[in-house]
Amino acid sequence: MKSLPVIQDGCQPRPPGHRPLWQSVEELESRSARPGGEFAPGASEVPPEMSRRSFMQILGASAALGGLAACQPPREKIVPFVHEPPENRPGKRFHYATALALDGHATGLLVGSADGRPVKVEGNPAHPTSQGASSTWDQAALLDLYDPGRARGFTRRGAPLSFRGLLAEVQKLARGHEADGGARLAFLLGPDASPTLAALRRRVQARFPRARFHFWAPVTDENALEGARIAFGRPLDVRPAVDPARVILALDSDFLSGQGDSLRLTREFARHREPGAEMNRLYVAEPAMTPTGAAADHRFRMRGGEVAAFARAVAAHLGVVPASPALPPELARAARAVAADLGANRARSLVLVGPRQPAAVHALAHALNGALGNVGTTVRYVRPVLGDGAPSSGALPALARAIEAGTVDTLVVTAWNPVHAAPAGLDVGALLARVPDVLYLALREDETSRHCSWRIAQSHPFESWGDARSRDGVASVVQPLVSPLYESTTAIDLLAAFVDAGDRGAREHVRTTWAARAGLDPAAIDAQWNGWLRQGVIPGTAEAPEAASVDVAGVTSALGRLPAARSEGIELCLAPSAGLYDGRFATNAWLQELPDPITKVTWDNAAWISEATARRLGVETGQVVTLAAGSRSLQAPVQVVPGHADDAVTLTLGHGRTDGSPVSKGVGVDAYRLREAGAWFVHGVTVTPGKGRHAFAIAQGHFAMEGRPLALDFTAKDWSHDQGREELDHLRGPAATAQAPVDYSRQEYAWGMAVDLSRCTGCNACVIACQEENNVATVGKEQVAKGRIMHWIRTDRYFSGPAANPETITQPVMCQQCETAPCEYVCPVNATVHSDEGLNEMVYNRCVGTRYCSNNCPYKVRRFNFLNWRPEVPDVETLRFNPDVTVRSRGVMEKCTYCVQRIEGARIDARVAGKKIGTVQSACQQACPAEAIVFGNLNDPQSKVKRLHQDARRYDLLHELGTRPRTAYLVRIRNPNPDLA
Amino acid sequence: MTPPAQAAAEREALAPLPLIAGRPTDTQLNTELLTPIFTPSQGWKALVTLAALGTGLLGVGLTLTIARGIGMWGNNQPVGWAYDIINFVWWIGIGHAGTLISAILLLFQQKWRTSINRFAEAMTIFAVMQAAMFPLVHTGRPWFAIYWLFPYPNTMGIWPNFKSPLIWDVFAVSTYFTISLLFWYLGLIPDLATLRDTATKKVQKVAYGIFAMGWKGSSRHWQHYRIGYLILAGISTPLVLSVHSIVSFDFAVSQLPGWHTTIFPPYFVAGAVFGGFAMVLTLMIPARAAFRFQNVVTSRHLENMAKVMLVTSMIVGYGYLMENFMAWYSGNPYESFLFFNTRTRGPYAPIYWAMIVCNVLVPQTFWWKRARTSVAWLWIASVLVGFGMWAERFVIIVISLHRDFLPSSWGMYAPTWVDWSIFVGTISFFSLLFLLFLRFVPSVAIAEVKELNHEMQHEAAHAGGGGHEKAHAGVHP
Repeated sequence: MKSLPVIQDGCQPRPPGHRPLWQSVEELESRSARPGGEFAPGASEVPPEMSRRSFMQILGASAALGGLAACQPPREKIVPFVHEPPENRPGKRFHYATALALDGHATGLLVGSADGRPVKVEGNPAHPTSQGASSTWDQAALLDLYDPGRARGFTRRGAPLSFRGLLAEVQKLARGHEADGGARLAFLLGPDASPTLAALRRRVQARFPRARFHFWAPVTDENALEGARIAFGRPLDVRPAVDPARVILALDSDFLSGQGDSLRLTREFARHREPGAEMNRLYVAEPAMTPTGAAADHRFRMRGGEVAAFARAVAAHLGVVPASPALPPELARAARAVAADLGANRARSLVLVGPRQPAAVHALAHALNGALGNVGTTVRYVRPVLGDGAPSSGALPALARAIEAGTVDTLVVTAWNPVHAAPAGLDVGALLARVPDVLYLALREDETSRHCSWRIAQSHPFESWGDARSRDGVASVVQPLVSPLYESTTAIDLLAAFVDAGDRGAREHVRTTWAARAGLDPAAIDAQWNGWLRQGVIPGTAEAPEAASVDVAGVTSALGRLPAARSEGIELCLAPSAGLYDGRFATNAWLQELPDPITKVTWDNAAWISEATARRLGVETGQVVTLAAGSRSLQAPVQVVPGHADDAVTLTLGHGRTDGSPVSKGVGVDAYRLREAGAWFVHGVTVTPGKGRHAFAIAQGHFAMEGRPLALDFTAKDWSHDQGREELDHLRGPAATAQAPVDYSRQEYAWGMAVDLSRCTGCNACVIACQEENNVATVGKEQVAKGRIMHWIRTDRYFSGPAANPETITQPVMCQQCETAPCEYVCPVNATVHSDEGLNEMVYNRCVGTRYCSNNCPYKVRRFNFLNWRPEVPDVETLRFNPDVTVRSRGVMEKCTYCVQRIEGARIDARVAGKKIGTVQSACQQACPAEAIVFGNLNDPQSKVKRLHQDARRYDLLHELGTRPRTAYLVRIRNPNPDLA
Repeated sequence: MTPPAQAAAEREALAPLPLIAGRPTDTQLNTELLTPIFTPSQGWKALVTLAALGTGLLGVGLTLTIARGIGMWGNNQPVGWAYDIINFVWWIGIGHAGTLISAILLLFQQKWRTSINRFAEAMTIFAVMQAAMFPLVHTGRPWFAIYWLFPYPNTMGIWPNFKSPLIWDVFAVSTYFTISLLFWYLGLIPDLATLRDTATKKVQKVAYGIFAMGWKGSSRHWQHYRIGYLILAGISTPLVLSVHSIVSFDFAVSQLPGWHTTIFPPYFVAGAVFGGFAMVLTLMIPARAAFRFQNVVTSRHLENMAKVMLVTSMIVGYGYLMENFMAWYSGNPYESFLFFNTRTRGPYAPIYWAMIVCNVLVPQTFWWKRARTSVAWLWIASVLVGFGMWAERFVIIVISLHRDFLPSSWGMYAPTWVDWSIFVGTISFFSLLFLLFLRFVPSVAIAEVKELNHEMQHEAAHAGGGGHEKAHAGVHP
């Protein structure tokens, strides 16, 4: 160690009287050259090299300056918790019960919140509609919350208003309408079963007796309600129970997906898809293939207008209505067999009708269910929860007439985007421009906002207080997860402003409503209130079943009034889109990129036609055709879809937006341009082939299994006779291998999964749940077309049999977590390795992106970040990222991890509690309404996944490759009617 | 014609063509073979400019790829590898002929190699340089791949995965490149000394002098040189077999139908030699004409190369046949589907059939001497074979990947302009290096040709009668 000199030269006192002596001339000269140095004698001179003092100075200075660097004022505002919530633990996920309503019908949800940010939507197990599952739309609502294109703030004729200012202006406006009782005040509202809103409406109506409320939505249940009116004399809502049903006839009813109660119905349906006496049988009659049609044991394809005749034939065979006009022989045979099967299962059968069918068919179904003794077992009738707020397609034309008559000065619009979804020929935009004050409450700026003088940003349901009811009537309090990201308000606040109560806050309104219902003082309901919030349901709110008797004569006469199914021309069938519904989800990139369950098209809609019709018209997939209905026409690309009815074209609603977010703008074609008010089937459409070509981005281009044993199915009869089980034995059990496999049986945990193909309906809930949980990127149409979709789990869909009406099978495929994984040994940098619990782990940090693992993966479940998708994510959207999962950058391979972050989270909790890990649910399993995906510990003999791995139906995908996958599949069992074989 | 004369004429017809035409002296050979170096032509400059422009395209392609990601290419799911690895294998294959000609033919004492070995070795090195680029740039994160693929001690204790053929590739290719470079350089030293001695400009003298490493041509030098050269030839020989075997393991070790084949190593090596010889001919024929090397690179050379191509083409053809046979004989439905449906009738079937035509049918013309000695046809055929070998890699890589086990994951592949830029860019870069080589280094091994010349004249003297002494007396000019 070097010792530094101490400054002391010159400090030594000079002896008095000492004079410097010199010994040589040179010495004298050298002294005189530097006479005494710079400093006076006695002063300490700086030594030539570093001294201890200067060392300490530099040391001190660098410490001080180093500290100063951190003293820079922070660039961003840092706001600590002023009052830290007592339960808050950083990194800990909290779940809050809330509800989301679609067209007024709520699903109970639990929303996971990480450090104050909602990051995951899950079903509320305590809620009867959800039972723990969640749909694609529920899941994707999270992305809407963080949509950078959301409306912000409030403006009146372009001038910004504060919330207080808005309330004051609205109250002033309202006072102006008091004089004439609101004769010139109108409301255009979307369907909403919220009791608080209903109460507010009543108060508004009391203040403005002559104000008019119009309830409107693009997709309504009005046909069903009208059918009930025909059958029962009053509008009643059908609450089907699939659980006890052994034979189900779905008439153009997509009850396993789509709106309504699909989560509950799917769960009940799937429960009885295992071989045995309890197995149900599903007949579906529909024009275009839906997930319900794909799940059917018998699917009869027919045009939308022919369903009535088919239903009538079935009913005639059962003696419910007089014999009907003759059907084509094949359908007649089908109707006979269906009728026989229904008749043989009295009180255990179910007839369902979709909302697109005319009222008479609904009425006929009521008659059928009544005659079959199903009422009380598989069918109950309840009062519609929407009550007098049920939307009707006639509401918009009625409002238009009022506007044209000049009787509306103030119009409050909370219905979703009436300009876009208006019936063809009705220029709502121009009408809105004629109304002096249009108050438009909307989540986003859209086609309608442009025409409205007041633009009021709506809060997302995850930011709002409110209440909602499921179709069963079960009420939930909607509670916010986060304070509004942008200045916005709710429908409750807006409506309350019309009764000068806008400043009370939505929470107070909801509390007041429910306190009144519970007969309690609003100030004293804390205990109940907190219980409701925690549970997510308000007990005792379910609607009681109503007794109802069918007026068969009325039904018969209504059937007689139905126009005969016309055979000439082409029928245009409109349908809500599987991803975008009526278009309200068009700005949601997750749903745009979600492959259609049947066609697997992303970022598009298409004119679906059957192969025979395509041949007859001389068109092929991708060709642009002109669809003309009357004076209106639309250009749309054709897609040939197996199983579509002949001489019919199906076009889904919701695409072809002209305004709004870049996600939705110009994607697909706008089917509303051909739609009359409330119409679902347009007859006599002409299809003219055009020259243009359109490129689809199809996530799965190949439909056939090519005879490979991939997604397997058996008929129940074959299964019970052990036919083909030998074949199954080749697809399971120990695979021939030269190398002794690793023994995982002594590990505490061996994670595994089982996927029951009998249960899967291909609804895609798992896909979105996985995307949400695992921060999976969306890549856009161009990249999907290039084959770079990022979904970690996909639903493979295969057709077999005749292309005209094939059998369909769906198969969710995620990483199979092979015990001897082909991906692992080829990775040059050890970036994908095996855990001792059997997980095939991906080490993103280590990955250099050779893509060799993907090439060698026989299941092709690996996904490569070909580009950096992350910069495309708007800043606000980054808040939705699950903090437990790495966001991958470009050049890195990724894939399903069996939700390893959930396993590790459970392990931490288990360790803290000193127990073994209990149940862990993967995100796909959690969302699956059919309970088709089961995850768990294979080393726990009690676990459900272990039982399924030992099931007689179990097989491994590509078993012969010896990959020893941890994911097992259970063959699908079909239950066809022997009479129709 | 008298019977003996007729017999002699028939013998003449059957006798192999001479390896060196005429009887040039050493000085004549020097002058002739060094002309391209000392008197460059305008055509050369034009070609260099063109090649440099193409190399710029390579720079653009690589910059975009590294800056934005592999997404700039057409690669996707399921086609994870495409032009990147096709080009890699193609270039590595081309890089095989050089070492084969140099080392193996040297060990087998095939004298005809001398006029073409330098050329072929240079081609090897430049081709391996093109190939070596791809294992790095085809990764998603080359800035990590550049050192994570090497086993270096680190505090994390993480090593590369020695089970992965990609790691074997790294070793195989880098070893091959190093040995080929040394072999080439060692062979160049006597000629560099000749250049040093004949150069008139100071700069050339100094530069060639440095690279000649003080070569004096003494017996001692020649003795060490010969031993060193033989040792390197001995090391190179197994590398010829190992490199492409290992490259083939990239495929053979996987379990993808069309890749998972034990015949791949020999079939890849034969294919590499086949493609390499085709490339030598593709380059040699124009160079020979441009530099008037006809008397050292004679029809005999071209014919011999055609014969090698015929043999290797048949090995490759046998490989194709065996692949198909095994696909049928194994009864594996996935393989059968690939070989008898996807390849022959699938969307990329034209490329498969082009491969069959170019690699199997076109070389069959070499059974005829006229085809072997027709310079124009040889050139066309070798270009076709070069394309055929590229198509073969496309068939193996893209066609196998685009339709594998689960039809749900099948997809199509289309290259982007960046893919094309990189492909064209590597050809340009290769050409650029080659043109520089032609300009600055003797493209024919002068010392070896001289040696061969002496030997031939010696033998001719023996044959001419007059006895041993006479033969030994007068042939040293």
